[in-house]
Amino acid sequence: MMSSSATDAETPDLVCRLDNVQGMVDALSAVRWKRHQDAVIELSEHGIVLIVEESGCLQAKVYLQSELFISYEYAAQGRPRFGVSLGLLVDCLNAFSAPGHSSLIEIRYPGPDMQLLLKSVDSPDACIYAEVRTRIPEMISWDYNFQPAGSTPLTFTVKSAALKEAIDDLEWPGSSIQIKLQPDPPSVTFKGEGHGDLQIDMLYYVSTDLLIAFHCDREVSYRYKYKFLRATTSNIPSSVIKDNRGSKLTIGRGGMLKVQHLVSVARTSNQHPHVESAGYQQPSRIAYIEFYVKPEIDEDNVND
Amino acid sequence: MKFKAFLTESGVSLLERRFLPALDKMGKICHLFFTKDHIHFLYNLLSGDGFQTIAQFHKETLFDDYRISSQNEDRIAFAIDISLLHRAVRSSVSICSEFGAGGSTASRLQIKLVKKLPPNSTQPMPFLTFETQGYKSAVIQDIPISKPLSRAEVLELQTALDMAQDLPETLVQVPDLNQLQNFIDRMKHVGDLLNVSISKYGDLHTQIATTLIKLGAEFRKLLVIGEKATAPSEDQNLSAQTRSERAVLRGDAQSVQVSIKHFSKSLQCHLAKPDCAFYGIAPQGACLTVIFQFFIPGTRQTDKSISLHCRLPVLDPGS
Repeated sequence: MMSSSATDAETPDLVCRLDNVQGMVDALSAVRWKRHQDAVIELSEHGIVLIVEESGCLQAKVYLQSELFISYEYAAQGRPRFGVSLGLLVDCLNAFSAPGHSSLIEIRYPGPDMQLLLKSVDSPDACIYAEVRTRIPEMISWDYNFQPAGSTPLTFTVKSAALKEAIDDLEWPGSSIQIKLQPDPPSVTFKGEGHGDLQIDMLYYVSTDLLIAFHCDREVSYRYKYKFLRATTSNIPSSVIKDNRGSKLTIGRGGMLKVQHLVSVARTSNQHPHVESAGYQQPSRIAYIEFYVKPEIDEDNVND
Repeated sequence: MKFKAFLTESGVSLLERRFLPALDKMGKICHLFFTKDHIHFLYNLLSGDGFQTIAQFHKETLFDDYRISSQNEDRIAFAIDISLLHRAVRSSVSICSEFGAGGSTASRLQIKLVKKLPPNSTQPMPFLTFETQGYKSAVIQDIPISKPLSRAEVLELQTALDMAQDLPETLVQVPDLNQLQNFIDRMKHVGDLLNVSISKYGDLHTQIATTLIKLGAEFRKLLVIGEKATAPSEDQNLSAQTRSERAVLRGDAQSVQVSIKHFSKSLQCHLAKPDCAFYGIAPQGACLTVIFQFFIPGTRQTDKSISLHCRLPVLDPGS
């Protein structure tokens, strides 16, 4: 084991090792919707959670469970939280992932000056290292406390590629997008009105390979700001599309929309395109990504 | 002032497939400098500062029937747009192979310096002309060039060239150029200034340090040319940064700061397919030098008829 001089005195809160940096880069990039974003990282015995937020209307979380790591030594009391620049963290991690090399990295927190420390550990004579400055998280995380809308959940699962395509297409009509779920016929409708109208209908029974699952017992409809919806799919990793995965969307109480993606962090030692493809990865090698989008407040309701 | 020569087949392929693609990345305008025995491609040698690249070939590496004469000790230099030169060589190659396919005599590629009257002009202008002789036809390409440099300018160029030849005391061999380039390209997103330190123990340490992040890479136990020293065993378990700081204090290492864009550019020279590359810091930290070596095909012996090196300006004299 290598030792790093200053941190030897105390046991760090976390020392973990990861063999697929690219997977982590993919997962974190998925919540990177603009250049400068502050993120909060929370550590626990279960893993690492990264949270980003915008305008009190959109929150995204990346769950990197401890099972994703080859080793995960957690020794903190409580749950340490710290702020980092998401862009910088992703750019920095990217430096560790060279194509054609499976790089093994060690992540350690905190360093002597409360930094997040990263270093490659696969070769004794060539080492990449980084020290990322952390901040005391200023962001008071608004509670996105997501609650089911009723006794039965309002939810559907759609192919991630199709979801991204639909949301990309809705860019043209613009600013505000209505999402409607109805039980009869079971369908989901995305509707944009602005510079023009565009309506995208996904019918459950007609295209089962588009809508993979659908649960809805009553008609609901909410409007969301286009830019927030777009953020949920704008940086979806190509591996998600390649693996032909689905994304799950749930409408909760008050119209809060939850969007969940699954990103593979499995080791990609063989680079063959045909891999044992879709779905065969152990579930433990998946990073979970969740977005919470608040609905637009309906003007009619405000006036009431 | 006369210059005329025939490019050899290996000379054409050396230029077309290897050197011109690399030089094309070094900048738009380059000085071509012909002497009795050598041809040089020189970047930024007259301006004194900035990123310098020097490629030198013995005349027989590129040409046969090489004829040069000038009143300035048979030396001729002019500025040329390297991308135009690259295009001309490329299209000559495709013409040659088309005509060559027909059989009969091997077509030859002649280059010469000419003065011509360009269309719609009354002033004759200098050109470097490529003439490809096919079976029954000839294709001529004229590349506009600057006026040949004056005697004083040629002297200045020669002096700068001589000055650019001194070697750093310690050079370390980069293990894998592609890998290093990959890493540096990714590092470019994080910052603009790169600290490079090179020790007599064979350590190469590159680091970007900003207020928010430190990102670095350390390569150890590299092959050293020039002054060597044995790494002290007590430094083994230190962090890369401490290790290089201590080596600098001990006088066993030098450290300089360069632009990461320049460093990345120097790595583009791998397009010339060198067999190995060495980095070193010039005395007093004057510049960071990278020297590329080419082997005689099929051997591990340095081909002395080809040389390529870059000198990166130092932004901060460092320690």
